[in-house]
Order: sequence, then C-alpha cells, then structure tokens
Amino acid sequence: MGHTAIPQDSVGGLSATEHRLDNGLRVVLSEDHLTPVAAVCLWYDVGSRHEVPGRTGLAHLFEHLMFQGSEQVEGNGHFELVQGAGGSLNGTTSFERTNYFETMPAHQVELALWLEADRMGTLLSALDEKSLENQRDVVKNERRQRYDNVPYGTAFERLTAKVHPEGHPYHHVPIGSMADLDAASLEDAHEFFRTYYAPNNAVLAVVGDIDPERVLAWVEKYFGSIPSHEGKRPPRDGSLPDVIGEELREVIEEDVPARALMAAYRLPHDGTREGDAADLALTVLGGGDSSRLHNRLVRRDRTAVTAGFGLLRLAGAPSMGWLDVKTSGDATVPEIETAVDEELARFAAEGPTPEEMERAQAQLEREWLDRLATVGGRADELCRFAVLFGDPQLALTAVRRIMEVTPEEVRAVAAARLRPDNRAVLVYEPTEPTEDADAEATEGTDIIDAEGADQ
Amino acid sequence: MQLHPRPTGGEPTPWAFPRPERSGLPNGITVLRSHRPGQRLIAVEVNLTAPLAAEPKGQEGVATIMARALNEGTDKHSAEEFAAELERYGATLDAHADHPGLRVSLEVPASRLGKALDLLADALRAPAFAESEIERLVRNRLDEIPHELANPARRAAMALYASLFPAEARISRPRQGTAETVARIDATSVRAFYEAHIRPSAATVVVVGDFTGIDLDAELGRTLGAWTGKASEPFAWTPVTADDTGRVIIVDRPGSVQTQLLIGRTGPDRHDPVHPARRLGVYCLGGTITSRLDRVLREEKGYTYGIRAFSQVLLSRADGTGLSLLGIRGSVATEVTGPALADLWTVLRDLADGGLTDEERDSAAQYLVGVAPLSFETASAVAGTLADQVEEELPDDYQATLYARLAETGAVEATAAVVRAFPADRLVTVLVGDAEQIAGPVRELGIGEVTVLGG
Repeated sequence: MGHTAIPQDSVGGLSATEHRLDNGLRVVLSEDHLTPVAAVCLWYDVGSRHEVPGRTGLAHLFEHLMFQGSEQVEGNGHFELVQGAGGSLNGTTSFERTNYFETMPAHQVELALWLEADRMGTLLSALDEKSLENQRDVVKNERRQRYDNVPYGTAFERLTAKVHPEGHPYHHVPIGSMADLDAASLEDAHEFFRTYYAPNNAVLAVVGDIDPERVLAWVEKYFGSIPSHEGKRPPRDGSLPDVIGEELREVIEEDVPARALMAAYRLPHDGTREGDAADLALTVLGGGDSSRLHNRLVRRDRTAVTAGFGLLRLAGAPSMGWLDVKTSGDATVPEIETAVDEELARFAAEGPTPEEMERAQAQLEREWLDRLATVGGRADELCRFAVLFGDPQLALTAVRRIMEVTPEEVRAVAAARLRPDNRAVLVYEPTEPTEDADAEATEGTDIIDAEGADQ
Repeated sequence: MQLHPRPTGGEPTPWAFPRPERSGLPNGITVLRSHRPGQRLIAVEVNLTAPLAAEPKGQEGVATIMARALNEGTDKHSAEEFAAELERYGATLDAHADHPGLRVSLEVPASRLGKALDLLADALRAPAFAESEIERLVRNRLDEIPHELANPARRAAMALYASLFPAEARISRPRQGTAETVARIDATSVRAFYEAHIRPSAATVVVVGDFTGIDLDAELGRTLGAWTGKASEPFAWTPVTADDTGRVIIVDRPGSVQTQLLIGRTGPDRHDPVHPARRLGVYCLGGTITSRLDRVLREEKGYTYGIRAFSQVLLSRADGTGLSLLGIRGSVATEVTGPALADLWTVLRDLADGGLTDEERDSAAQYLVGVAPLSFETASAVAGTLADQVEEELPDDYQATLYARLAETGAVEATAAVVRAFPADRLVTVLVGDAEQIAGPVRELGIGEVTVLGG
C-alpha cells in the first residue's frame, strides 16, 4: 500500500447511510456540518447508451427539457427558484447516466427536494412543442460551440466512434448528431420520460449540513407517492473484446493550428482493480509534468508542446485511455509516434519505478480529496457508486483501493492494453501552414460560467 | 402523485466570509491566514508586485516565461526533479503573470504542507533559470500562440483589447507576449526581470485550510522566511484610458458555423462605490439563464447556448485609477448573427428605458448573497479571493462587507449602474466569424462602423 496523506481507516470521517422508499427510490444521506450548505444530487440510470439508432442526442436534449417546467413549476422556474434561494444547479448527460444537482444554503434543502420530485412525477403535464423546438436550437448551438467551431473539436467524437463499432451503444457521443437532433419529436421525449424517468431508476443523495431524519421525512413526503414502473429497457449489450485486434487509423486534413497525434485505447472497466491499475499507468505515463511522455516529448526531444494521457472511466463498456499530443515547430507525427511507442513498450516491460508509483498515487489521492472537498462533489460520487456499482459506500473507500494496487499490476495492464493493436489513432495535418480539445464526456444544461475574457 | 405546496425554507444559518489574520515575516513578507476546519487540502497563494507594464518593451512575455520557469528547477533540484518532488507530495504549483503582478498558487494535502512550502520557497528564492530550460519554455510559448489565435474566444479578446486601448499601453497587447517579442526572450532577460521584481518585500502570502497540528509560523519561518532580498521600490503606475466609441470589428473566419461575440468597454475598479450596484445590475442583465439576455436570446429564440455579461477587474489601485473590463460574450449561430445582435441591443435599450423590476433585483440579490457559503466551501476559493483583495489593494474585509452592501442596493441603483456600464451607443463589438455572411446584416444594425480583419 502506498503512502497516504490522510488516515485511510476514517476516510476523513465521511460516512453515508442508505434508505429505500416503497416505490424503489434509493436515498443516500451523508452529514457534514462544517459549512451551512447541502447538496441534492439525483442520478437517473439513463444515458446516451440507451438511445436507439436515429435518435442520438435524445438523452441530453431531454435533460434540457427537464428544466422547462413541470406541473407546479412554471417555465424556467427551476432555475429561478433555486437561484433565488441562493443555490446553484445544473444537469449533465454522459454515456451512462443523467444527473441533476442543486447545492443549497442548508435551510433551503427542502425546496430542492420539492423541485426534483415535481419534475420526476409530473414533467409531461408541462412539456410542449414550444419548449422542444427552443431547446433543440439551444442544444444545436451547444454542439457548434463545443465541437464544430473549435479546432480539433470533433476528435473525441471521431475516436469514440472508432473504438466502439457501428451499432455499439457507445459508438456515438452524448451530444448526438445534428440530423438526429432535428428528428427528435415531442412523442420521442414523452416516451423517453415514460421509459426511464421513474423513482426505481434513480438514486438521490443529500449531503452536507442536514438533519437526516428530517430529510428522509421530506423525501418520503415529496417523492413517496410517485409511482414506480418497470418500463425501462436495458441498454444494448456493451461488451467488447479487451483488445481491438488492429490499429484503426485516420488522417484528418483540416484547418488546425498544428499537427496532432491523438489516440484512444480500450482499457479495463471502471469499478475493477484493473481499472484502477490503468489509471495509475496513464498517470505515470502521461499524467503531469513529471510523467514519462512529458519528460520525453516536451522536455527532452522537444517535439511536442503538450503530451499527455487521460482516462474516461466507463462501467458498461471498456474505459477509454486518451492520448493527446500537439506537435512543436516542424516536428512530424511519425517521429512522435515512434517515441510514444518506445515509451509504452519500455513501460510494459519494466513497469513503474517505486518513485513513479508513489507520485502517481499521491496525484490520484489529491484529485480525490479535491472531488470530496465540496458537498456537491461528494453527493455526485455517492450517486455514481450507487448507480453504476450498486453500493454508495464504495465512494468512501475509492482512494484506499487505488493505494492497494501494486506496481506489477500497473505494468501488467499496460502490457495487455497499451498496444498498437488496441488503439484508434487520429492524425491531424493542418491544411494551411500556420485550444486544446479536451475529451468531454458530458453535456450540460447551463454553460460553465468562466469569468471574464482574457486575451 | 400527491402534490404539495412549495416549501418556504427554514431559518438561515449565519455565515460570514472569513476575516484573515494578518502578520509579517522578518524578511518583509506579508502573511494572511485563515484556519478552515475540515479543509484538508491547504491552499497557498503568493502575490508579487511585478506588473506586465514593467516588462521591457520588445520583450513582452518575459513575466510569463519567468513565471513558468519558477517551476523548472532550483538550486537544489533539476527541472525534472522539481516536478517529481511536487507530484510526490500530491501538490500542484502554478504561477502566472497578469497585469498587476505575479500569482503563484500551491495546493497540497495538509500533512505535506511543510514539504511543499520547501519547494515553493526554493522556487521563489533560488530559481535555476537554466539556459536550456528557458529556451524550451520560449519555444513552447511560441508553439502555443497559433492555438490561441485559432480559438475564437481568445481571438476575440485579442481584437477587443487591441481596439479598446491605445497602442502604447501594455494592456492593449496579449498578456503572454506576441510571437515577435517572445522570440527575443532568453535566460538573461528572465533573470533580469526576476532580479528587478521578485523579492520578499514585494510578496504577500495567503494560507488557508485546516491548520490542526501544524505550527504555521514555524513552517513559514523555516521556508519562505529564509528568503532574503533588497526592499523593493513602489512601481510607478500610469493610468490607462480606453476608447469606447461604438464600432464593430469582424475577425474573418470563412466557414465558421458560429459567430463568437465579445462586446466591451471599461469602467472603474471595485474601489468605486458603484461596484455592488453594478454587480447586481450586470447579473440581472446576463448572469444566468434567467437573466435578460438569455431569456430572449437563448430561452425564447434559441440563438445561443448562452450569453453572459460580466465585469472583470483588469487593474486596481487604492487611489481609484484602476479599471475593469465590462463585457458581454457568447456565441450565436452564423445565420442568425444579425437578428441576435439586434435583439441584444433591444435588451440593452429596454433596460435603459424601463429599468429593472423589484422582483428581478430581489431575486438577484438573494442569489448573490445567498450563494456565498457555497462559493467558499474550499480553501482554494477563500485563498484566491483573499489574494485578489491584496492584489487589488482592497481592505481585508472587502468581501465580508460586500454582502451587506449588495443586500442594501435597490433596483433603481442597480439599473443606473448597469445602464451606465453598457450604454447602447458606447460599445466596442468584436465578432469572430464568417464575414461574408455576417458583415452585411451587422452593418444594417447601426451599432457603429464595421471593420473586417483577416483571421
């Protein structure tokens, strides 16, 4: 077990209790009275993997419609009421789930519960053609802003489509295609709600400065009479061979500022020990300024301006390891690719050094502390482990599991998975001589409001 | 389901922005600290008065290269070793140069604070500035510039600053230098800038987090307290003026599917008593989905994923000679650029004619005041705000008293402030988009002379 910055037995004193209403709604509560705030987080077990051909993007478009009012909430009332109470809110959609969350001053938690219950129980009574037409346009602009009008903006979409074959539930990204967004009808939205939005297909977490008994009574009062149903259709089978079996490759000639090498690897599923080992492997290889790829390509060879690995954890299909290298000056993609492959092969043979293991574990531990430092982050993690792995308590021991991974396991997963025959490669060649596009797996309702405009 | 009336909320728990404790180290460093129980990630912010206006003409960007070089080796560690040491302790250390000066941000688990402070002190006291590392950072920076030019939001900001401010003012040019000036930077110029500006008497250190079991005075004395240097001369600031004659600059991007828009002018910094009213008014105009701009442009017309109005302090002086950028930004679909701008101007004119309603004002004030405890859950959020106050030469209790002032501000004052911030005929509009498609409709709007620049 690696060195840790915090005592692992207590996980910082966090604990959570679990409850279930008669209608199947799972409830997770966690008390923390340090700051007078509380987070309400609701995960529905539905994501873009549940979409059918011809209707990509529907789960996310639907998420937007959840903010257009319900029986007792008019129009944009959800935003107005939460913000008017001093709270913040949003919703996001990924491959595997849709989440809705409010962080409230502690004395306003009941309002957030009432609002979530109103739309879970009565959305369809308010949903109309006008809202759909409007939010369809908003989502198409979201797609333009985040994918189509950004250099390298469609790389994530292209690589996702290569790693998951045609027809696979993860073949398309949550934003969906313009044509499918245009095709979505009010009847599709109604059917989507009736199929997937039910108390027995959701987990509710309330975290922070709360009185658990009172919160539970409110949850029972507002959510208890929403009927459950068994209409849900499971997603199509997401299983795939561990290794693709060949390198899939595409060269894109586009008006981008520099050459780039991007690749996606199939990695072990989230929730497994091998998945944590893969996270450590990617961190050692490409997770920061002391990683092997950064040292090799940016510091020594000086062929790249940025070089790194990211991990998109997935539970219902292989996770995706994400390589992103932007070239420096006149450097060419083949010389970078040779260097990357040398580093991967060396790592697969030798594994991480003890110092590299210590650093990677310390980095991942800090990232966890960051995520758990806010009530909203904690509520989201409790929901994640409850929805994807059936046990919210696993959120509180996630750091410990990362610390228990051995160097040999890290080496082994790299040897098995980080191979040329297990990747899709995208090479960008600028069409004219002349912002990094990060892998985004979620689409939201509200824009992330960064302050200001810097040149 | 059984419907219930909307709950009214309980009694708020009193909350106040933390008042920092101020002290000093014998070498002239000012220290601000705030103990935040439960925050096991400690945040350290160091402010150094080293303004961009002090960069030698022709070497603009030298402050940025110096900031980055602080992370690239010291008298004890090579660049690679330094990065490895930081990651070993799960720490992050970032430095960046902006108009008022240099900001260095450290975040680390509490149990490793001492180790991280060692590294921070070494970076400030004895940076290596090795020739080959500086060469690499310069090249790296040159590689970044084309990526920034390709990013529509960054490109818009560059065009706005270049148009708004006189050519002789440093602020009219990119913070991180241009390709021409960056290419001239070497280890000698970096060291010269460091020698001239980076010294303990110019530094303020802010430390926030859970200090339980930590002797902070001893840790600071042992590390940053060991740094010696001459006392610094106060920097002679020159006030900057801006030309806000109404006009339009189109940066041509043939084929863009969206138009990036950035509309701006300048106003006073936060020392001006108008600030709380302006904050409130700007929020009502464009702070969220339910503000005036998005209510029309997003939720009624579907032209955009979101338009935001903001005020951002650029330079701030105790004598009131500073300035803020007042802006409106977002992106709209190319084909509706003309109608979207027409609507935007209608929103501004209606606001000037009719003013804000009491309901709008109340809801904005409730949000801006109520959201405070949520915004400052983490140590890094508190540390960042305390460091901003120091940088802006504001009193330590500025944020703490801001909430009372927001709560006292009425609709009439908020209206006056926002209308004065965004007069419909005194706005510089930058559009990054397809000139062939958008220039004609924009000319017809009568919002000022239209100039088209190459991409």
